[in-house]
Amino acid sequence: MTMLLRLASRNLWRNRRRTLLTLSAMVVSLALLTLSLGVFSGMLVDILSSTTEQYHGHLVINASGYLDDRDMYKNFTADPELLQALQQDKAVRGVSERLRGFGLVSHAESSYPAELLGIRPEHEKSVTKLHTQLIAGIFPTDTDSAGAVLGSSLAQKLGVSPGDELIFVTQAADGSIGNDLLTVRAIFRTGHTGHDNGLVLVPQQWLQEVMALKGKVHEVALAVEDPLLAAEDAKRLATLLPAGLIATDWGELMPEMREAIASFDVSRFIFVIILYFATGLGILNTIFMSVMERSREFGILMALGLRPRQIRLIVLLESLLLGMLGTILGLVVGLLLSSYMSLVGFDLSAWITPVSYAGGTIQPRLRAIFELRNFIDPAYMLLLVSLLAGFLPARRAAKLQPVAAIRED
Amino acid sequence: MIKLSVFLFFSLLFLPHSLWATDLQALVRKVEQQYMGLSSKSRMEMSIRSEHWERSLVMDSWSLGRDHFLVRIIEPSKERDVTTLKVDNQVWNYLPKVDRVIKVPPSMMGGAWMGSHITNDDLVKANKIDEEYSFTLLEETKEHLLIECIPKPEAAVVWGKIIYEILLPLEVPGTVAYFDEEMIKVRELIFDETQKIDERMIPLRMRIQPTDNPEERTIIRYSELDFNIGIEKSFFSLRNLKR
Repeated sequence: MTMLLRLASRNLWRNRRRTLLTLSAMVVSLALLTLSLGVFSGMLVDILSSTTEQYHGHLVINASGYLDDRDMYKNFTADPELLQALQQDKAVRGVSERLRGFGLVSHAESSYPAELLGIRPEHEKSVTKLHTQLIAGIFPTDTDSAGAVLGSSLAQKLGVSPGDELIFVTQAADGSIGNDLLTVRAIFRTGHTGHDNGLVLVPQQWLQEVMALKGKVHEVALAVEDPLLAAEDAKRLATLLPAGLIATDWGELMPEMREAIASFDVSRFIFVIILYFATGLGILNTIFMSVMERSREFGILMALGLRPRQIRLIVLLESLLLGMLGTILGLVVGLLLSSYMSLVGFDLSAWITPVSYAGGTIQPRLRAIFELRNFIDPAYMLLLVSLLAGFLPARRAAKLQPVAAIRED
Repeated sequence: MIKLSVFLFFSLLFLPHSLWATDLQALVRKVEQQYMGLSSKSRMEMSIRSEHWERSLVMDSWSLGRDHFLVRIIEPSKERDVTTLKVDNQVWNYLPKVDRVIKVPPSMMGGAWMGSHITNDDLVKANKIDEEYSFTLLEETKEHLLIECIPKPEAAVVWGKIIYEILLPLEVPGTVAYFDEEMIKVRELIFDETQKIDERMIPLRMRIQPTDNPEERTIIRYSELDFNIGIEKSFFSLRNLKR
């Protein structure tokens, strides 16, 4: 066996240029594949985080039925013990309880319908990232009693900037007209049309008073360690919840986002196959040529007593060795390229604006993220392809007739 | 075929004269305008029971013709001086807490007015029945007339049809049933406590009864009502809204 291995590796380096060419094809395809999968994943994480970290959170807890019609009476008391229990779960990174109200926001002569989220700023910061997307003003603190943060398009329509006054009018829970003044503290721009056009963050206590819903909230939004595991987290957290409350992960909140991620998995697979089909043909070509050139040599080896099985093994070992070498080098180059793209990235904002897709926002930048399977999947598939590409030449070599082969030039 | 035409012809001939559509329209207009007079001032109590709240309000209201209307809350004290002004097709609310006037935008016209079963749209459209609908008589007895009101093709109304009952011989409204576009009954207005005020027969109480929820209702009752009080158009201004 050692002898066969030595033979194989020597054969490989006999035609150095051809082997190096094939090897470079493998390295380049594997490296580029891992890089583009990493950028692809980065884009997906961008979309996912834009929807979850701009608004929903990774999962939300509501009174059952609330998500269907956002009925303001389907509220509950945000029990501090419940919030603490949620906070202590191993996967939970942030907890923010919120009250939601729909009504009319006006300034001077103009009025527009808006969605108000009654939040506590410090809690909200641990779940969403709106505070990092401000284009004007300063995100309010917990002590701010009537400070509002609103979307850029809404602010533009109303003609307000930080420091200006807003009036909110709504139907309160007791049937009266709830109304009060707010002061604009900051303006955010997310790229998500709906939020930029109609979302206003206000102090929770302020909204509770306006809506006559003292001490009540409509949801608890959570941020978790790994958004892709949110569905499992939701199941586990459900056991902590009192009767009548349910946990919903982002996949259920935004089925179109889940579809987008599932379709990414499929397209990734197709991408890998297309690229490797070309690489596989290259390897097949190299090995085939070297087998044809060595017919005479194989004939002599057979005449010396090597079994056809062993001949086949030599050829397979050659392509496997080539594949392994290509995989290792490809992974190294891919890792280098990916880490460059994840550390530095590529800013496209000079050419394109953010795009809304599947309820999320694609940011105008290319940025890779490291995901283990973006390396593992292409790597073992490259090994598989090189074995498959070695299989045909190996079979041909094993079928050679010693006498005829020796006579060949 | 000929038989049928002859039958139709005769049945048309025998229709009592008072049932022609133009007369129905005039009748509906008369009934509707009875409330208004040329101008009016009233004090009313509105009591609301809905799935989530029960509340009652005392309000003062002024009207001039069909297109000018102002109503101000007197009680409860928390909502005192909340004022609604309607001029033509527009509605404004004055909110004393923030000392601002807010114009109700078109998207909010379907919203409840003061938490009652009346919408802002009702305030704007309620008195236009005779202009925006065409009428057919469904039933005539000694006690009442039942009139079916179908919106004219060009009318911008939210109802599929209205069945209007006029009580005889006083010619006051009895029950008015509202149907949505699928011709399902949505709500009823029920009028009673008819009294003679300034030579007019006026039902002093109106109940708004949503059909799908018999537990809910809004009752409006006049406690004072005066007609032809000599009020000017300038009274119905944004300035006066704030008082």
